[in-house]
Amino acid sequence: MKLSNASPPFLHTDVTVMSMLGDRIFALCALLVIPTVRYGPRPLVMAGLSVLICLVCELLTGLMRKEGVPVTEWSFAVTGLVITMLMPVNAPLWLPCAACLFAELAAKAPFGGFGRTPFNPAAAGVAFATLCWPKQMFSYVDPAEPQWLPVWGECSVHTAQSAAAYLKSGLKPDILPFDMLWGDMAGPLGTGAALVIGACALLLFVRRAAHAETTLCFLAAAAALAALFPRIACSPLTSVKYELLSGSLFFCSVFLMDPVSSLHTAAGRCIYGAAAGGLLMAFRHFGAYEQGAVFAVLIANALSPLISSAVGRARGWEGSVYG
Amino acid sequence: MIPHGVRLEQQKRASLKNEIVSLPSPEDLPAPPKIKPLKKGAAAPRILSAAEEAGIADEFDGMMLERKLSLFASRKTELLVACGFDEDPYTSGAEAVLRESAEDVAEGLWLAAKACGAKERLVAASSRREARRFAACCTGTAAVAAGNRYPARTLLMQKLRRGGKKAEWIGVQACAALGAAVRGECRNETVVTVAGDGVRRWGNFRVRIGTPVGDVLAAGKPEKRVCLVAVGSSVTGRTVTDLSLPVTAATRCVIALKRPPRVPAHPCVGCGRCARACPAGVLPWLVYRELEGGSPEALRLFHVEDCVGCGACHTVCPSGIDLMAAVRRAAGLKEGRDLHETE
Repeated sequence: MKLSNASPPFLHTDVTVMSMLGDRIFALCALLVIPTVRYGPRPLVMAGLSVLICLVCELLTGLMRKEGVPVTEWSFAVTGLVITMLMPVNAPLWLPCAACLFAELAAKAPFGGFGRTPFNPAAAGVAFATLCWPKQMFSYVDPAEPQWLPVWGECSVHTAQSAAAYLKSGLKPDILPFDMLWGDMAGPLGTGAALVIGACALLLFVRRAAHAETTLCFLAAAAALAALFPRIACSPLTSVKYELLSGSLFFCSVFLMDPVSSLHTAAGRCIYGAAAGGLLMAFRHFGAYEQGAVFAVLIANALSPLISSAVGRARGWEGSVYG
Repeated sequence: MIPHGVRLEQQKRASLKNEIVSLPSPEDLPAPPKIKPLKKGAAAPRILSAAEEAGIADEFDGMMLERKLSLFASRKTELLVACGFDEDPYTSGAEAVLRESAEDVAEGLWLAAKACGAKERLVAASSRREARRFAACCTGTAAVAAGNRYPARTLLMQKLRRGGKKAEWIGVQACAALGAAVRGECRNETVVTVAGDGVRRWGNFRVRIGTPVGDVLAAGKPEKRVCLVAVGSSVTGRTVTDLSLPVTAATRCVIALKRPPRVPAHPCVGCGRCARACPAGVLPWLVYRELEGGSPEALRLFHVEDCVGCGACHTVCPSGIDLMAAVRRAAGLKEGRDLHETE
């Protein structure tokens, strides 16, 4: 019997970084099912390409840093999949690739990679694509004409306005609530099916791969502002329904509120979530684009050190958390 | 409010299935000394001297019982708790002793409480069922269930002290040994749990203190592919590579594993699990971040001096960061030691 030395503990809880990322990847893959059934394999190809680009970037940055092949976790796959979900299904294939390149090379690698990113890389990548190619980012397939899209080539399809675009122009979206729940409406690829996103959120909360308080405060703040300041002439409840189910609000409240770029304390996370929800509604009211969730998340990321400091002081800790 | 501590998967059923097995004493160990039976009405100094004479040590911290009780007396302890549970998920020796020697435990606790001047006594069991089982056979001593979150003993004592009582704890094996001293028996032995995927026969074994660890491991029928043997606890214990090392009062368990558990190291992902798990209110993630920054500010190392060394933070960390070591380094730093000195 040859015995070796090791440091304790000799057991570990089941939750590891890999299991947390695995849960996120599983949830994101579940969101690909409905678009794939509706539009054919194009969403899968988009997702695969995005993940591949992120992986290549990860390998390149690792080699540049002389760390060898540092792919010990799958955060690149989460980044690639989140970016895909926020793209229109008919977007040219280079668009998610460009967003992934920006996310990995500008928002992740310069800060030291996974676990050290002050900004959500996927949000940064999508914000970059929105600023550079807004036309492609907000041109959605008309769901009234269901068809399988070409897998590789350019899509010449009928386009339609999304619910968020209707709301932006002060009009009530002509979409049935049932369709909004299943994502049968014009919009980004993976952000429409509210029921599936809700189920994925539950899975992530139960498995503790995401913080429920951040998402709940995000949604509560957005709902409160939607009820108080409706953008269309309707009851507060109807305004809340349309605001929460349109655009990428619900998706971002679950998948862009990652623990790395948010806060460590529960109180801090609540404030952070509420700030992101509030900012998102402000972007919807005053922003130039119909969707501003990623910008709201990035600003909330920037505010998180301040929020953390404020929470630290309020708790009577001897100093601020971040100075 | 979210409870502190961490829920660990319990692995005790297999070792508690059978009664405690007494292993033969190695021939080279001297026979235990005879002691004068302790009278029931003995005064505190006599109880303390009997504990010293019998060489009783607490199984949880290895401290001599006589010294521990004297310390409690100086602290004016009001409530003495006998820990009849093991917070470590692999170890079940305390539970087995509480089941099989309940009367000795009750007797020993009574004597120990008298020796340290504690007015109240309490037996903490692993579950309500075990507490009821104890209460049914020893009616004079109250029993409670310790929580099921690791570190249960620290959390239980915090709860009792929050109630305004000066509470202290001793192990049930020490209690049972003191109880046996009434009959003049000197129990120079301890109950050790043998567990882990590297042994075929999990169980609790009563062994003489000084028995080689290898003999205890052999009782568990080890597999050929065992590569790691740990003693003390699966969370805070240490590995042994020399199986001829002797069993001490604080050995408590011998865990044999076929392969060491490995959590790939990653940077902190900010999940906050360590802060929730810490029973002392330390923020291990913050301490780690401060130390990682290279120029930690002592003012920001909150409560590090209160660390109880339970290792709950390290056990729950999904990134596999040795947060307990970071907190210990920070505590050293706060005491005024140099950062490199604490490494």
